Amino acid sequence: MPVAASAIYFLNLRGDVLINRLYRDDVGGNMVDAFRTHIMQTKELGTCPVRQIGGCSFFYMRISNVYIVIVVSSNANVACAFKFVVEAVALFKSYFGGAFDEDAIRNNFVLIYELLDEIMDFGYPQNLSPEILKLYITQEGVRSPFSSKPTDKPVPNATLQVTGAVGWRREGLVYKKNEVFLDIVESVNLLMSSKGSVLRCDVTGKILMKCFLSGMPDLKLGLNDKIGLEKESQLKSRPTKSGKTIELDDVTFHQCVNLTRFNSEKTVSFVPPDGEFELMKYRITEGVNLPFRVLPTIKELGRTRMEVNVKVKSVFGAKMFALGVVIKIPVPKQTAKTSFQVTSGRAKYNAAIDCLVWKIRKFPGQTEPTMSAEVELISTMAEKKSWTRPPIQMEFQVPMFTASGLRVRFLKVWEKSGYNTVEWVRYITKAGSYEIRC
Amino acid sequence: MAPPAQSQRSPSPSQPSGKSEVSDLKLQLRQLAGSRAPGVDDSKRELFKKVISYMTIGIDVSSLFGEIVMCSAASDIVLKKMCYLYVGNYAKVNPDLALLTINFLQRDCKDEDPMIRGLALRSLCSLRVANLVEYLVGPLGSGLKDSNSYVRIVAVMGVLKLYHISASTCIDADFPAVLKHLLLNDPDTQVVANCLSALQEIWSLEATTSEEASRERETLLSKPIVYYLLNRIKEFSEWAQCLVLDLVAKYVPSDSNDIFDIMNLLEDRLQHANGAVVLASTKVFLQLTLSMTDVHQQVYERIKAPLLTLVSSGSPEQSYAVLSHLHLLVIRAPYIFSSDYKHFYCQYNEPSYVKKLKLEMLTAVANESNTYEIVTELCEYAANVDIPIARESIRAVGKIALQQYDVNAIVDRLLQFLEMEKDYVTAEALVLVKDLLRKYPQWSHDCIAVVGNISCKNIQEPKAKAALIWMLGEYSQDMHDAPYILEGLIENWDDEHSAEVRLHLLTAVMKCFFKRPPETQKALGAALAAGLADFHQDVHDRALFYYRLLQYNVTVAERVVNPPKQAVSVFADTQSSEIKDRIFDEFNSLSVVYQKPSYMFTDKEHRGLFEFSDELANLSIGAELADTGVPGHSVEANDKDLLLSNSNSEKEETRGPSNYDAYSAPSYDSSLVSIAASQTQSDLISSSTTVPGNAPHSSFDIDDLLGLAVSVTPSPAPAPSPPLKLNPKAVLDANAFQQKWRQLPISLTQEYSLSPQGVGALTTPQTLLRHMQSHSIHCIASGGQSPNFKFFFFAQKAEESSNFLVECIISTSSSKAQLKIKADDQSASQEFSSFFQSALSKFGLP
Repeated sequence: MPVAASAIYFLNLRGDVLINRLYRDDVGGNMVDAFRTHIMQTKELGTCPVRQIGGCSFFYMRISNVYIVIVVSSNANVACAFKFVVEAVALFKSYFGGAFDEDAIRNNFVLIYELLDEIMDFGYPQNLSPEILKLYITQEGVRSPFSSKPTDKPVPNATLQVTGAVGWRREGLVYKKNEVFLDIVESVNLLMSSKGSVLRCDVTGKILMKCFLSGMPDLKLGLNDKIGLEKESQLKSRPTKSGKTIELDDVTFHQCVNLTRFNSEKTVSFVPPDGEFELMKYRITEGVNLPFRVLPTIKELGRTRMEVNVKVKSVFGAKMFALGVVIKIPVPKQTAKTSFQVTSGRAKYNAAIDCLVWKIRKFPGQTEPTMSAEVELISTMAEKKSWTRPPIQMEFQVPMFTASGLRVRFLKVWEKSGYNTVEWVRYITKAGSYEIRC
Repeated sequence: MAPPAQSQRSPSPSQPSGKSEVSDLKLQLRQLAGSRAPGVDDSKRELFKKVISYMTIGIDVSSLFGEIVMCSAASDIVLKKMCYLYVGNYAKVNPDLALLTINFLQRDCKDEDPMIRGLALRSLCSLRVANLVEYLVGPLGSGLKDSNSYVRIVAVMGVLKLYHISASTCIDADFPAVLKHLLLNDPDTQVVANCLSALQEIWSLEATTSEEASRERETLLSKPIVYYLLNRIKEFSEWAQCLVLDLVAKYVPSDSNDIFDIMNLLEDRLQHANGAVVLASTKVFLQLTLSMTDVHQQVYERIKAPLLTLVSSGSPEQSYAVLSHLHLLVIRAPYIFSSDYKHFYCQYNEPSYVKKLKLEMLTAVANESNTYEIVTELCEYAANVDIPIARESIRAVGKIALQQYDVNAIVDRLLQFLEMEKDYVTAEALVLVKDLLRKYPQWSHDCIAVVGNISCKNIQEPKAKAALIWMLGEYSQDMHDAPYILEGLIENWDDEHSAEVRLHLLTAVMKCFFKRPPETQKALGAALAAGLADFHQDVHDRALFYYRLLQYNVTVAERVVNPPKQAVSVFADTQSSEIKDRIFDEFNSLSVVYQKPSYMFTDKEHRGLFEFSDELANLSIGAELADTGVPGHSVEANDKDLLLSNSNSEKEETRGPSNYDAYSAPSYDSSLVSIAASQTQSDLISSSTTVPGNAPHSSFDIDDLLGLAVSVTPSPAPAPSPPLKLNPKAVLDANAFQQKWRQLPISLTQEYSLSPQGVGALTTPQTLLRHMQSHSIHCIASGGQSPNFKFFFFAQKAEESSNFLVECIISTSSSKAQLKIKADDQSASQEFSSFFQSALSKFGLP
């Protein structure tokens, strides 16, 4: 059986129960105590998200300042359980409007109880789609005092059944202005050896969509991926326009995408849910354009001095620029004094994370600022603990740039009323885990 | 109003407090109950919120039951929901008060609003009070026929809840048949999905007692039902898809067309955004193609990309879940992933549980072409990340060295570790160098040169120290200072806290003595004297043994201590392939994460019947797993082991089977506590000499010792000597039994019928034990409760040390005994079987 969650708990960081819901009788009542004493109050916390205590298994996740714990006694489906928690949190967020933390839970606990009843029954996940749930569990669970008897409310599932509509979109939506927002968000992961060779590099991207469209529109999205283009040129029997094509290693889609059609025609066609959702995710390992090159030289001059020189090259177009660039260069714990020279941005020593932190708010393309620092160390007796050099880490955001080279070629919207739509497309590349060993 | 702030609460939520608040609430609720003033619903709602928030933090508000029920007559749906929640929470402890609520819940079940009908029905079924089940049947019956799908969805789950409260009521009302009808005919897919989960659960549980139910469970896996569900799979919610896919994975296809049809239909599921769906489809693909080797390979290639994507997206917890499964696949088919090794490189900020899995995968995929890169990467971790992972990565380097032919470069790296001057790195590397030398003695020259430079004073960890001492003893002829270093260590004998190290010291000094007698003699004398005075039993015994051995004959002693050694070619695998296959069959479940089959960690009631056998294997592997520190091993096990080892194992056996549960340690099977007890005892005794699994060298030493004392190996002479005579005083300890049970093939499987007298007499396992004992068949473990009992017997031939091992499962309900016989001497097993049968048939006769 997939998850049969026997109970779900929401705990704060001290281990107090914020909300609990027992779905089945097969676990005892003192499960929270077990979790507190065997996981929260030990070093075990964080060592493994799945633990067994007594006869029960605990799956836990920390989300901001809340622990969500699922307790099962059977051989449950772990992937399903974690996905359930993630989806449930997304659902709660869509109800509270953004944040999910201890305060949000305290302020909405009745609503959460209501939702917990609907999204899981006797340990089996039921319906977690915010679209549907919002039809009958209204915001804050508060009905306006002027509305009459609840029976006026159309019964959601029955309505959907009759109209044969898709489960993720309700009928009769009307917008004055029909707009679609597409966000292509990529995070680029890099691991570079101290000799400057790329050990590992990949891009995980997602296409986020915000739809404000009336009626039941059919959308079709064209990307510059290789397979899709080849298929298209086969169908239209003319060669594709020249231009960069990219090869996606793997793609996953939101449930609204017609996967059969994707497999046969390689087009992404779908009836979108209303509002914001994640249309697709993809992964690329070949031909990644790294936005930054980092060239560090770190010299240890004797026991008490170090010289750090870091040059960062931006290798994207000169007209573009990166935002929020942060470069963290680890230094030994016994750092006493630092002095910097930078050609751009600001640098300082952060003792809490033992790093030199160099920040550049706006970083134009095709430039190469440098930072040089002198670090003085306290000489210590514990000579044996030689310093192991952790990697340099980098954070950035580059708007209008995709490390994979992915481009949206077209987005077609078709609806029977034939209205015009406005489409907005944005690209952004962020640093995932961007590590350079030195 | 918000729930009370943190500061107002009692520090420990388990301690109820706030009595005055509760009585205050009671008063207010009473005032509101009869009121019909406008706005009264809002104030009620506030009060209810307060009650629920008290309930959540553990304050006992059950005394408000009556008032809450009085107030619940409102039409407000939010109020109703809170009231249902309250009632559901306290009905179980207050069954009498729960009766009060039945009335209004039943009325709500007939409400015109389907929402309220559904909610009321759900709450009614969640009361979980056994004596109220009669009120459930009616509303459930009409709920299942309701025109609204919401109510039907709730009702189907209600049936399952009813089954858990009172199985007979549920079966008598013929609800499973109704569910089956709904499963195949309901237009709403959530109803179908819930029917599927409910029926699977009900029939699996029923199948233990009723044959009809097990037939029904089979029909769920029949082609029409599976195809019906598959054809609708796109209409199902993502969760329900997981459910259906899980069912399909168990389906046995009729031919290869069947297989390809299903795979073609499900191919696009691998692109689903929900990782659970992808994993479930992966399971289907893998299970369907198990018999088709080529296609199975292709499946691996096909699922690789989606799984790698899942690993790199989502929260660390999710990627851990996926990674555990990927880990299983990598271990099964390393060559398929060997070109993707870069995906398993660790990121600096990843949580250690992810890193640990990745390290294991890197170890598994290493082959001739990528070893250099992988080892280079692992060496980075040894210097660069947190200590436990650094240790793991050094161990990984060692493992790769042990599985490769070309160890040249790796040995250099390991030796570099020794010179890194970090305590933990040196310690781990020492243990590895020792293992390496046991496999590749040709490297001894290079290694010993480096090891000789290490000062004993810098090594604190017992395991590393033991490894160093082993090398000092083994290679004392090549290490100039060896006798003097050993001498120095012996001088500090009393400061050495680890018995393991002291044992090694004794052996090493003996070895050294035979190689360099004049330099070692003094040290040997000191060591033997210190050993004889040692308070630790094993150390004392070994010193005494060496002493007497030397006294008896020095050449014999040399043969015992310093025999010509052969390089170890393969180190023992910790998991049998049977276990691995079992885990693979349970793909997409906790088994994969825990790396052990489900019967090892779930409660007995959650096991299917088919998982009843092979508990013995479970026991031994369980112990091994605990030692190797698999993620998520049980925490309580250790405490309980200690408890068990204190209690006398004989006493254990005389206890009735009902007592066993109280003693069950989670990782052991409760029915085998007596074995567990004796095993832990022997573990305790031997724990200082052997560290099971992790330090194979020490068992080596034990073999040296035991080689003289007992001949464990059976005599090869097959000579059957009819008639069969058994040794009435046969002895076999639990460990030896387990080991044999694992090693020997099953030579005979049989089923006997028991005489009715026998069945009558078998009230507790003990009666049978005594009976069999009188026939020279001894019991080593027993367990179970009426009607199912399980025994492990052994017997020994009178003249020779040839053993028979028997697993015997007796079901008194069917009067059948199932036997599995394993024997050292296979040819005699038939004879033994008839002997056993005749002994069993006399059971219960006066």
